[in-house]
This record gives sequence, structure tokens and C-alpha cells, in this order.
Amino acid sequence: MPLLMSSLPAFDEPNPAATLAGADRAHQQQQVLALSLLDDEQEWSAFSRPVAHQLGCWESNVLIEGMHCAACALTIEDVLKSVPGVRNVEVSAGSHRAKVVWASQAVVPSGWMQAVHEAGYRALPANDAFARERRLVESRKALWRMMVAGLCMMQVMMYAYPAYVAQPGDLTPEMEQLLRWASWVLTLPVIFFSCGPFFSSAWRDVLHRRISMDLPVALGMLITFLVSSAGTFDPAGIFGHEVFFDSLTMFVFFLLAGRWLELRLRDKTAGALETLMNRLPDSVLRLGPDGQFERVPVRRLQVGDVIRVLPGEAFPADGVLLQGHTSVDEALLTGESRPLTRQVGDEVISGSHNLSAMVQMRVDRVGEHTRFAQIVKLMESASTSKPTLARLADTIAKPFLIGVLIAAGLACAYWWRTDPERALMVAVSVLIVTCPCALSLATPAAMLSAAGALARRGVLVRRLDAFESLAGVDTVMFDKTGTLTRDAMVVNHIQVRQGFTQQQALALAAVLAQHSLHPLSRALVAAAGLAEVTERWQLDQVVEHAGQGVQAVVNFSGGAKPAFVLRLGSASFCDVAQLNPGALQVHMSDDAGWLASFEFQEDLRPDAKATVAALQRAGISVYLLSGDASDAAQRVAEQVGITQAQGNCSPQDKLDFLRESQVRGHKVAVIGDGLNDGPVLAGAHASFAFGQAVPLAQAQADFLVSGGRLTNVVDALLLSRRTLTIVRQNLSWAAIYNAICVPLAVFGLLPAWLAGLGMASSSLLVVLNALRLSKNEQFEWKA
Amino acid sequence: MDILYFLVPLSVVLVFFIIGGIWWAIYSGQFDDIEKEGERILKDG
Repeated sequence: MPLLMSSLPAFDEPNPAATLAGADRAHQQQQVLALSLLDDEQEWSAFSRPVAHQLGCWESNVLIEGMHCAACALTIEDVLKSVPGVRNVEVSAGSHRAKVVWASQAVVPSGWMQAVHEAGYRALPANDAFARERRLVESRKALWRMMVAGLCMMQVMMYAYPAYVAQPGDLTPEMEQLLRWASWVLTLPVIFFSCGPFFSSAWRDVLHRRISMDLPVALGMLITFLVSSAGTFDPAGIFGHEVFFDSLTMFVFFLLAGRWLELRLRDKTAGALETLMNRLPDSVLRLGPDGQFERVPVRRLQVGDVIRVLPGEAFPADGVLLQGHTSVDEALLTGESRPLTRQVGDEVISGSHNLSAMVQMRVDRVGEHTRFAQIVKLMESASTSKPTLARLADTIAKPFLIGVLIAAGLACAYWWRTDPERALMVAVSVLIVTCPCALSLATPAAMLSAAGALARRGVLVRRLDAFESLAGVDTVMFDKTGTLTRDAMVVNHIQVRQGFTQQQALALAAVLAQHSLHPLSRALVAAAGLAEVTERWQLDQVVEHAGQGVQAVVNFSGGAKPAFVLRLGSASFCDVAQLNPGALQVHMSDDAGWLASFEFQEDLRPDAKATVAALQRAGISVYLLSGDASDAAQRVAEQVGITQAQGNCSPQDKLDFLRESQVRGHKVAVIGDGLNDGPVLAGAHASFAFGQAVPLAQAQADFLVSGGRLTNVVDALLLSRRTLTIVRQNLSWAAIYNAICVPLAVFGLLPAWLAGLGMASSSLLVVLNALRLSKNEQFEWKA
Repeated sequence: MDILYFLVPLSVVLVFFIIGGIWWAIYSGQFDDIEKEGERILKDG
């Protein structure tokens, strides 16, 4: 991160442009300009919103760059809180976002942003074109570092190979020296370029007097490199003639590969969220006082304005249609994938898309009062208040490093009295043998390998940390629609009037139902199969009464029988008595009254029951919280064997339930599919979204199940428990390895070349152990 | 085997050339969206 460091003074200087050199200059000027632009109140609303009940207080969302771990999040929080005027700060290590509440009387945005810069990070307002570009640069750089390390690693191995296999005398000293020089040259880009992030992060740790895993890693890299360089150019010197370029480059490559994969996972999530925020158009045609439509920024819209929305545009606000007839796509907001028709007087919601025709609408709610904004906000706050998981490796980094330094120092001091020449070599051996390769690879290697195994089963892992949380989960909460059931309903019972057969009734109902997009109508059509009967009947004057039913005049082709009015819908619409209250029914009536009743049932996923049973066997309590009617939720719960079910839940209810269980000490995994689940998914310890889930839910879920197979949830759960076992094995292996090798090195029994070999093989062992997770074995839960 | 004294340095130079090639590939956007290219064949237009 040299770029970051060198750019810092720019913000302290009164005249930034004067202190900057060539290439970065234009870029830096832009940055400074961008920062001061943010002090204009007009711009605040792009990334901030005023806080209700607190006059002059704004809540801003910023992206933090240069953040690696949970410790960074805490540093940034402390830095921001110390700025006068900043009221509250929440930094999310997972999403690299921060929420800052500040008072506009006391501070301007550039004020607290500069504080973040001074701490060695970079804060960007979270409006996205900017962030997106920045992410691209970051991910290209990460890939570039990894590729350089990988390529150099391969070639250095080639040069190291002869020294491993040569018998004494096979290799002339000159040749050996040449191979060392070649290795050294190819290690240079790895050390000076690829290792950059480790060194700059370690340097930042030193400056801020804290310790994370990067510090021992960087120290190990540096010492290994220096000792190997000394061995190359001064084989007779005090560091001996051993070189470790192969172990060094391999270790760097492993670490960078892990980091790059993590970065990619993170980028995907951030991208999905940003796309969503971007759905609202920038400008819209508004009816002016002169009766003309003019284009104004969406920010200027007010309640009561009349606006015109063209086909293909998104609705910028919630409101009511005044003129026109169109179909809209609300898939993103409600999970409803079919286009819905909207007529004059119907409500449209912001964020949905106008598909077919130009319409005029009256604006009823704008900005943060729209349903869209509320959901996005709920979700953002749920995501930033997520409990940050401290990485195990980071927590033991400090005692580890101190222990190693003490051991090396003591060993050096001990040998100094008897054999000063050997003392330095022993200290170096200690440092090399403890280079925390295995330790820092233990966790990410296992998690990446498990993520790969799940990906092959159709489960995408969005956040590696999720394995840790999922393994500890003891409660699973289902959202009924689309998770336990399929979207469609099935007809399970038909009652008909005397003189009709069930087939006839179904066919007749299907003919009428074809004219409606209601889910029950679609189920009727599906149940009737292809209605070849259509030819015998012709429908006229088809009218759909929203939420009640469909009505039409039926003519027989050729006029064989007199025409009659056919109604299909609710009991009150057809004017018949409800037969079996509680069941989901549709009735059909003609001029003579009741004709038929159709009873429906949710179409359970075939593996729903087995999944619930398997979860319960794994010692997990299963809940069902559904937004659907209570009796429907109960019915489904009974069928799959869930005892605790609750219907009519709003997103807030679900979130409350979640918080409550968490307070009681339960670890909850949530399985959802719709937009309403977004906030709940984000707040859960671990979350699953199903494949057809709306992007919002996907963006917040830790696991994305794409095949629609519920059993995948059980797979993921069991695999995450195994992953944690492997992580523990890896960590204890690293501990044992150090416990054995450090004393050996301290007493001078471990030559440096053996230390290098130990370092490389312990990394390999950890990676191989992790790879066991990717074996595609059958899980045992099906028994 | 004297040729090795030429070939080994040459291999180092070659590696730097390849690294240059990778640099070009990354910064001309070849790896920016790996999944998209695979899916593109399935999409119209």
C-alpha cells in the first residue's frame, strides 16, 4: 500500500497540488476536490440521511478502504469517535462499510473523513460509481500480486529442485551459485511487490502499537529473505549458506491466493447490494405549473408531484397511477417474478420497473419514506450491526509473536557466551521455523476448501467467516414461501354440483382461470392440463376483480346452449357458503348458483420433511416464521414436522424474534427467499437464500442455494461443523509443530535448512488437511 | 553443460516477459469478470 502512504500528506498540506509528484497528481487533485465537494449540503443526501429526532444530525454511509480484519474496524471506530462532532460510529468489517452519525453544526464530512485518512485508511462516500471503480482497481491489483507470486514460485522451485536431488559432487559450486542467484532475482518481485500488503499492514500495526497476524508474517518473510540473500552473496558469512527462496515464495503465493479468493467473494456481495441501491433513476419527467413535463433530479421530487414514467424506467417514488395502464416488474422487491398489471388508481412502488407503457403517477412517498428505501435501510443497519467475529489467528498473534521473539532472544543470548558465531544462526533458525505459515493458512485454507466442496453441490458461500458461525448454530428459522414449499399451489380436492364431473368442472374453471394471473388461477390451469376444451366455450366480457375473482359470459360455440355468467373466486364473490373454513378454496358459480369448489394445498418441496427431520436429529430446533396467513403457516409446519410455527409475521417481527433468540444465547440460522428476508438474513448468525431469491436477499445471505434442494442446507451445516474440526486440527498441528521445533532450534539442534523444510512442509500439511474437506463424500445424515 | 550458464539466466528473463504478459492481460480487463464470459454464450444480444 505504498500509494496510500505517500498520498496521506496531501490532505494535511494547505496547497496539496504543490507537494505532489507527476503521475498521481491529477488523481490526487480529484480526490481533494471530491472531498471538499462533499461539504456542500446539497451533496450530503447522496450518501447521508438526516437522523430523525436529532436536529442537524446526519447519518452517512462510507466505504472504508485498506481494511483487513476486525482489528482495523475497531481502530477506525476509535479514530472517528475521537473527532469532535461525530456522535456515533459503526464499522462493519465484513462489508467494509461504516455508518457515521455526525452533527452538521460541529463538523463537515471532509473533517471526519480526513481523520480516517490520517489513521491510514481511506473513506469514500458510498455512492457507487466511485466505489465500483475502486473495487476493480483493488481486485486487479490483488490478482496481479498473486499471479506474480505464483509465477515466480514455480520458477524458483525449478531452480531449487537440483539442490534437493543432487548427490554430492553432481552440482558444481558455480552452478549451485548460479541457481541461487536466479532464485534471488525472481524472489525480488515477490518480496518487493507481492508482499507489499503484508509489509504495509505490519508497518501500520507498528505505528499504532497493535499486533495482528500480519506482523509476525511480515517479520518471518523479511527475515527469511534477508538470511537467504546473505546465504546467496556471502556463503561463508555468519548466516550460513542455506537459502529458502522456494519456501518463501510458496508461502507468499498460498497467502495471496487465499486473500484474492476472499476478496472476490466480498466483491460479489458488495456488487449485488450496490446494483440494488442504483435502481432508482437519477432524473424524472415532472409536470410543471405550466402544464409541460420537464426533467428534474429525483432528489427534487415532492409529495403530490405528478410525474411521467416511461416504459423501461424504474419508478422513482411510491405513488398512485393517474393515467395509463401498464405492467410492472416488482421481482426485486417482492420476489414476484411475473409482470403485474397496474391500472389507474393502483399503487406502484419505487424500485419496481415500468415494463409496457408510459404512465402518469402521483407521488405519495419520496426518498427515505418509500418502501424501497426502508427495506434497504433496514438491511444496511442489520448488516453493519452484525457481530464481528474475531479471527482466532489474530487473537493469538500477539502472545505468539512475543513468545517467539523472547525465545529467539534467549537462544541468542545463551549461545553468545559459548559460541558467538553460532548464536545468530540459532536465532535465525528459531525465527524461520516459527514463521507462522501454518498458523496463518490454517483457517482460510480449510474454509476455502469447504466452500469449493459446497459450490460443487450448488451452494455458493458468500462469506468465509460464515462457516464459523454456521457450525455453532442451534436454531434454524424457515421462511415458508419458497423455502419449504414451491411457489405454485396444487389442487388437492374438488367438489362439484350434481350432474357435473370433476373433470368438466376443472376444465371450465381452467378456461376462466386462464384470464387471471392469480397464483390459484395458475394452479387451476396447471391442474387441468392443456385445455383442449377451450374450443367448445367462448368467453366474453371477462372481468377480473382484484382479490375477489374472475367473471365472464360463457357462450357455447354454435349456440348449442344459452349463454350464462360464470364466476370463479372467493365464497363471497360467488355468493356461496364457505364449505371448509381454514382450507384454501376457490369456488365457481353460474346463474343457477354453486357449481364447484376447489381446495388447494401448498406444494411442499419433496425434501422438506427429510430436511427438517435431519436438522432436528442434528440437535437443532426448527422454527417457521412466515408472512403468510397463520393457518397456512400452521398447515405447512404440521406437514413437515415443525412444532413451532407462526404466521402473519412482518419483517420487523422476524427481526425481533431473531434478536430475542440471540439475546437468549441461541445461534440462529435463517433460511429465506424473499425481499422481506433481507434484514433478517443480514442479522442472523448464518443465512441461506434460495436460488430464485431476489437479489436483495441474495446479497445479504452467507450461503446461496442455487439448485433449490433443501437438503443442501443440512449438507452445509454438517460440512461447516467438519470445517471447524479441520481448522482446529490445523491450528493444533501448528501449535504442536512449534512446540517441538522451537526447543530444537533454541538448543541449536535444528539446522537452518531443516527449519526451512519444516516451514514448507507444515504449510503443505495444513493445506492438504484442508483439502480433505473437498472430498465429495456422501454425508451421513440420510441414514 | 556450459550451455546452462546461458539458459538459466535466459529463463529468468523469460519469466519477466511472461510476467509482463500477465500484467497486460490483467490490466486490459481479461480477468475482471470471469463468470460473465462463460455465461455470455447463453444470452441473447
